[in-house]
Amino acid sequence: MTTRRILIIDDEETIQTVVQFGIKMTAGWDVLTASSGSKGIQTAQTEQPDAILLDVMMPEMDGIATFKALQSYPETEQIPVILLTAKAQAAEKRQFNDLGVSGVITKPFNSLDLPDQIARILHW
Amino acid sequence: MKILLVEDDEPLIAVLTKSLTALHYVVDVVNDGEMGWNYGSTFEYDLMVLDVMLPKLDGVSLCQRFRSHGDTTPILLLTAQDSSTARVQGLDAGADDYVVKPFDRAELIARIRALLRRGSTNPFTSLVWGDLVLNTSTCEVTYNGQPLTLTAKEYELLELLLRDSQRVYSTDEILDRLWSSEEYPSEATVRSHVRRLRQKLAVAGAPHDLIATVHGRGYFLKALENSSTLPAATVQKSAPELCLTSVVSERFSDRRLDSQQQYLAFLNQTWTTTKPNSLNQVAMLAQTVRALHVNPLTVQQQTEAHQVAHKLAGNLGMFGLTHAMQLARQLESWLIGDAPPQSGDAALMEALAIELHQEIDNATAIQLCQLPNGHSPLLLIMDSDPNFSQSLEAIAKTRGIQTAIATTIAETEAWLRSAPRPSCSDQDPAAILLRLPLMPTQVNANGKTTVLETEPVSLVQKFAQRYPAVPILVISDRSELSDRLKIAQWGGKLLLESSAAPEQVIIALTQLLRKSHTPANVMVVDDDLDWLATLPTLLKPWGFNITTLADPQQFWTVLQTVLPDVLVLDVNMPQINGFELCQILRSDPQWQRLPVLFLSVRTDFNSQNQAFTVGADDYLCKPVVGVDLANRILHRLQRVQAWSS
Repeated sequence: MTTRRILIIDDEETIQTVVQFGIKMTAGWDVLTASSGSKGIQTAQTEQPDAILLDVMMPEMDGIATFKALQSYPETEQIPVILLTAKAQAAEKRQFNDLGVSGVITKPFNSLDLPDQIARILHW
Repeated sequence: MKILLVEDDEPLIAVLTKSLTALHYVVDVVNDGEMGWNYGSTFEYDLMVLDVMLPKLDGVSLCQRFRSHGDTTPILLLTAQDSSTARVQGLDAGADDYVVKPFDRAELIARIRALLRRGSTNPFTSLVWGDLVLNTSTCEVTYNGQPLTLTAKEYELLELLLRDSQRVYSTDEILDRLWSSEEYPSEATVRSHVRRLRQKLAVAGAPHDLIATVHGRGYFLKALENSSTLPAATVQKSAPELCLTSVVSERFSDRRLDSQQQYLAFLNQTWTTTKPNSLNQVAMLAQTVRALHVNPLTVQQQTEAHQVAHKLAGNLGMFGLTHAMQLARQLESWLIGDAPPQSGDAALMEALAIELHQEIDNATAIQLCQLPNGHSPLLLIMDSDPNFSQSLEAIAKTRGIQTAIATTIAETEAWLRSAPRPSCSDQDPAAILLRLPLMPTQVNANGKTTVLETEPVSLVQKFAQRYPAVPILVISDRSELSDRLKIAQWGGKLLLESSAAPEQVIIALTQLLRKSHTPANVMVVDDDLDWLATLPTLLKPWGFNITTLADPQQFWTVLQTVLPDVLVLDVNMPQINGFELCQILRSDPQWQRLPVLFLSVRTDFNSQNQAFTVGADDYLCKPVVGVDLANRILHRLQRVQAWSS
C-alpha cells in the first residue's frame, strides 16, 4: 500500500490519538487531526488528505453538517468521507449512504483494523 | 520460565540443566515417558523438551498424548535418528521443533529460546516497560540506561511480570512458575523477593510502586505514567514512534502480533490520562441525575448530559471496556432528546452512574482479549448452501468476526490437515459451525430423491479432535431427542434448529465465543491454609483466575477488589462462618446473582439445608478432587452466563 494521508475529525482527543497511533503503526499512513467540524474543513482545504474520517456526533457543527459543508467547496468535494458512528446510529446507515458518504465505520472499532477497513471501503 | 526435560541420558541431563539454569530457566528433569506425562499434565511449563528414545513411553507418543489432551505447551523433540521420516513423525505428533543428536549446545539453546518466545505473549528479546529494559539474550537489566544487579530469582520474577505485563500474578502463581516442583518455598519468600526487587529498582530511580500490589490478588507492573514519550493530543506526526523505537522485534513475520502488543501498551498509557477524565464525566452525569431528582432537566442540561454520555461510551468502547460502554449507552438512551427523563427515572439512572463509576475505577489495565475485533476471531462455516453461508458471513462481519467457508467435503477436510489452508488464513478457527445435512438432496436417474449425506458423526468427531478447545455449533434439520443426544455425544457444543435465522446463529455464536475468551475469577474463602495453597494447581487446567482468602474479616474488601464470578466458601471459620458471609453477600443487591458454592467437612443434612437457606447454589463435602470442584464451578458459570445473555 502506498502512503496515504488521513484526516480524522472528532472532538474526542483520546479517539484522535488512538486512531492516529493505530493507523500509523499498521499502515504507516500519516494522520492529521481536527477537533471540530470547522477546523476539519480548514485542514481538509489546506492539506488535501486522501480520505476523511468524520465523527457524526459533535457539538456545534455535527458530522452531517460538516459533510455537507465539505461537499460545497470545490477543493474538498472530491475527498472521500467515511463516517464514524456509534452502533445505535447504525440503523441510520442507509440515510448516511443516501447523503453520499463513501462509507460508515461503526464504533467501537480496533484502530489496527482501520487501514484495512478504509482501503476496502474506498477500493484502494 | 519453567522447562520440563524428559531425558534418560545422565551426561546430557547434566550439560543441559547447567546451560539452562545459567540462563535463569527453572528446569524439572524426569527420566521416562510416563513420568514425563505425570509432570507435564500436572504442572504448568513454558516448554517441554522430550527425548524420542525413552523408557516406558517414547517421546513421539508422549507428545501425541499431550496434544490429544489439548495441551499447547511448546514441545521440542531430541533424537539420534537423523532421517526425515522420524522428523515428520515428530512434527505430525504435534511437536514444535526437532533437534538431532549430536547437536550443538548453542543451537539447541537458541531453538529453546525461540520456542519460548513463541509461547509467550511478548515475542521480543528485549522486554521494555518505560525506562526498564530486560534483555533475555544477555540477561542484562537496565533502568534508564543504568545496569541493575539482580539475583537469579529477582531476574526471573521481573521477566515473568514483563512477559505478560497486563496480568496480575498471584503469589501462588509466582511460586508455581519460578520454583521447580522439588522446592517448597513459602509465600513469604515471594514477598521478600518482591521487596528486594522493588528496592533495587527504586535505587536505580524507578517509582517505588512500579511493581504494584493488588491486595488479595497479587502483583503486576503499574501502567506507565503520562510521560514525555506520550504523544500530545494535538496534531503531531512523529511522537508515537518514540514508544516503539526501544523495542527490537525478531519476528518480522508476525507483525500483526507485534503491533497488537504495541497498540495495547499504547492504550494502557493513554488510559492513565483518559481514566480521570472519564471519572469526571461520570461525576458530571451523576450531578445531572441529582438535579433531576428535584426538577425536570432544562433542555441545555439534557443536551449537555447526552453529549457527555455519548462521548464517554465512545471512549470506553475504544479501550474495549465493553461493560462500562454499555452502561454509558444506557445512560445516553435516557437522555435522548424527544423523551426527556422524568424525576421518577432518576433512581435508576443514579444506579447506572454509580455502577459506571465503579467499572471505570476498577479498570486498571486494558486487556488484549477485550479490544473490539482485537482478535478478529475466525468462524469456520461448513455448509452446502452458499446462500445461507453468505448471509452468515455478512452478519458475522458486522460483528467483527472473520469467516472461512467450506462448501464441499474436500474443502472441509482440508481444515483437518495442518497445511495448506483453502483460504488465505493461517489462523485456527475460534468456532466451527456445521450445518447438516452437508450434501444437498439430489435426484437420481430414476427420478427418486436420495440424500447423499456423508457420515457427519466422523466429521464432528474429527473436528473435535483436531481443535479440542474450539466450540462446535451444529445446525440440524433433525432435532428430535435422539438426534440431540447424538450431536452432544459427538462433541457438538450447541445445537440450533435449521429454522434459525442467520442473525440468531451469529448471536448464539458470539455468546459462545465470549464464554471461552475471558477466564473466570474464582474467589475461595477458607481458613485451611494448606488447602488454599493447593487450589491454584488443582484448578489451573480449567483456566480460572483464583484468589484465595484465609481471613474472613477481609471478605468484603477482597470481594470488592476481585469482583469474582464464582465464590467458594468454607463453613467453619473463626469469627465469621461461611453461612454468615453468604448472608452478608446476599443482603447486597449487587451480589444477588453471584454463584456461591459451599465446600465443607460437614456432611449432615442440616448444614446443607442451612447453606441453601442462606443463598447457596451448591454444596460439596470435603475431601473433594480438583476435577469435581472445577466441574461444579464451570457448570454454575455456564448457567449464569446463559441467563445473563
